[in-house]
Amino acid sequence: MTTIGRTQSPAPVAQGPSRLARGIRRVALHASVIGLMVFWLIPTIGLLVNSFRSADAVSSSGWWNGLLPPTALSLDNYASVIGQSGIVDAFVNSLFITIPATVIPIMVAAFAAYAFSWMNFPGRNILFVAFVGLLVVPLQTTLIPILRLFATLGINGQFLAVWLAHTGYGLPFAVYLLRNFMGSLPREVFESAAIDGASPVVSFIRLALPMSIPAIAALAIFQFLFVWNDLLVALTYIGAANSENLPLTVAVSNLVSSLGDGWQLLGAAAFLSMALPLAVFFALQRYFVRGITGGAVKG
Amino acid sequence: MHGSATGWRRLTALGAVVVLAAAACGTSGSSGGKTVSVIGTWGGDEEKAFLAMVKPWEDSTGNKVKYTGTRDINAVLTTGVASGVLPDLAGLPGPGQMAEYAAAGALKPLDGVLDLAKYKSETASALVDLGTVDGKVVGVFIKAAVKGLIWYNPSLRDYSSDAPATWDDLKAAATANQGNAGAIWCVGLESGSASGWPGTDWVEDFVLRQAGPDFYNAWWQGKQAWTSPEIKAAFQAFGDVIASSAGGANTVLTTAFQEGGDGLFTNPPQCEFHHQASFITGLGKFKGAVAGTDYNFFPFPDINPAYTGAVEGAGDLFGMFNDTEAAKSLMKYLVTAEAQDIWVKLGGALSANKNATSYPDDIAKRSAELLSTAKIFVFDASDLMPSAMNAAFWTAVVDYTKDPSKLDAILVSLDAVQKDAYAQ
Repeated sequence: MTTIGRTQSPAPVAQGPSRLARGIRRVALHASVIGLMVFWLIPTIGLLVNSFRSADAVSSSGWWNGLLPPTALSLDNYASVIGQSGIVDAFVNSLFITIPATVIPIMVAAFAAYAFSWMNFPGRNILFVAFVGLLVVPLQTTLIPILRLFATLGINGQFLAVWLAHTGYGLPFAVYLLRNFMGSLPREVFESAAIDGASPVVSFIRLALPMSIPAIAALAIFQFLFVWNDLLVALTYIGAANSENLPLTVAVSNLVSSLGDGWQLLGAAAFLSMALPLAVFFALQRYFVRGITGGAVKG
Repeated sequence: MHGSATGWRRLTALGAVVVLAAAACGTSGSSGGKTVSVIGTWGGDEEKAFLAMVKPWEDSTGNKVKYTGTRDINAVLTTGVASGVLPDLAGLPGPGQMAEYAAAGALKPLDGVLDLAKYKSETASALVDLGTVDGKVVGVFIKAAVKGLIWYNPSLRDYSSDAPATWDDLKAAATANQGNAGAIWCVGLESGSASGWPGTDWVEDFVLRQAGPDFYNAWWQGKQAWTSPEIKAAFQAFGDVIASSAGGANTVLTTAFQEGGDGLFTNPPQCEFHHQASFITGLGKFKGAVAGTDYNFFPFPDINPAYTGAVEGAGDLFGMFNDTEAAKSLMKYLVTAEAQDIWVKLGGALSANKNATSYPDDIAKRSAELLSTAKIFVFDASDLMPSAMNAAFWTAVVDYTKDPSKLDAILVSLDAVQKDAYAQ
């Protein structure tokens, strides 16, 4: 079909129906994509609507009733979440935990990834395999030994403990992702830099790092979300020693009493805690998409 | 050249920020008084009530309480006991875990910490015994609840002067006074991963009053088979309740326990009675209703006259992991009537301390009296069972509600769980 089309002169008459067919196909594609997206979003939309409804209304009728007149949506749940003592502190703590716990592993991983892809040293491959092999270790199995180690060092309950823990938990994946990306950068660039007298440090900072920005941004999103949403690691390494440093996730789970009273606040709290990651995602999504396609095209 | 220098400078600056921030955190801990770290399961209003309770202690000693609330207390404490990193004081998941922690040496004995004679005189002896391991008090009940109260709407029929004395009386009264109420019972079993537990309270109440406290205690200790006729009879009595409940089995299974009794307050009421522990007054529609006028309760009536006046209770255990002076002083303070008064005044909780009497209403006062004056007192059986047994009991209640005809098979499978759960 296509060869015939190409050999024939590109008459405007012949293009008419094919453009129409393409148009129909595109509409169908878009319709199904939008349909899937709406279907995928339904639970979130339900949660959003319910976060504006009273506990009574939520327990007596489905969330879609909140959209039907008479609408009785209110900001009460949001007001009482924000009004909780300590929730603002917890938000700030979350930032204190998340930003270094995102920056540190990415910095370390970038160095490691560069070494693994462009520097020759004995045992490079074995080391890399061992590193990536750590991906299969569930972090729960490390809680007790690491907690004991932190106690010996006396850093239990401090932000530093959580930063180190998240750095460790995030590194295998971060190194793996960045190593694959940096390894796919053109060899000639590094060779000509070396001929011009650039040391590995210079070619890392001036070549490898700037060219890997899309992958680093994608990784930053993953790591940021993982740390931001983490409850277990923070609760384990901070919880017992110093409740003042606990992040938002712990504060949110504490809105509910041991008997389940106050559950209606969780929807509002979820959206408040989602706000920042969403902002981060939208700010970085340009890189996020480029990070995926960038690697694909180069291969 | 220029670019690389900036790059390095940026990296160094970032590193410096990290180091500085770490250093700042390291020094921020020191202030005037001592701090006592506390972990408990209380969140929301309960957390506020707890903090209000410790406030006078903080003010008088200059020390500070750092409270962490989590419902994963079991995981946190298990990790903590294994690694040696523990809060000073903590709520304990249950008597079973308490005994384990005490045996591991993690939980410190309270004999020298509390005013033991006073504590024993102010607390029901059954509760004191449950907190004792190898003759030493290691856990105290910081909060208590009476299980198996029957709640009703007085506007339908006021039972405050003539509460049914026996289960048969209750059934007769229910039929006679149904009026425009939709059904006799309101039941709600949904409670997330613990769904079914309100039904275990039902079964326990029947076992206690039909078969007596000795059987009851042997049962939770794993010395009585689930297939024994006493347990089967209790499940069947619970089945009768489900059969006469508002909405039937489907409604029962999908109604959250917090809202289980809300049907009492509709117009016309969906049901005449709701069976739940004393803490229901802080949940669902009870929370906004007026105690005494909108709702009231009578104790679970007797079934076998030999076991008259039996009461089932539950509570939150509390223990000490680090015996610092500040922790000891807080522990001593928490069990006093003075501290417990603050806690009970805020509602939704009963005190194990008989001398804490500042209850906000008559209903709370009456339920506390039931607890302190019970002729036969037993603790919530499912809470005392090993956790695997407890979870199987919850599931069994759900399965039985779904399909009562499978009762025999369900009981046989509970026996199988019992064999493993108690062996550990």
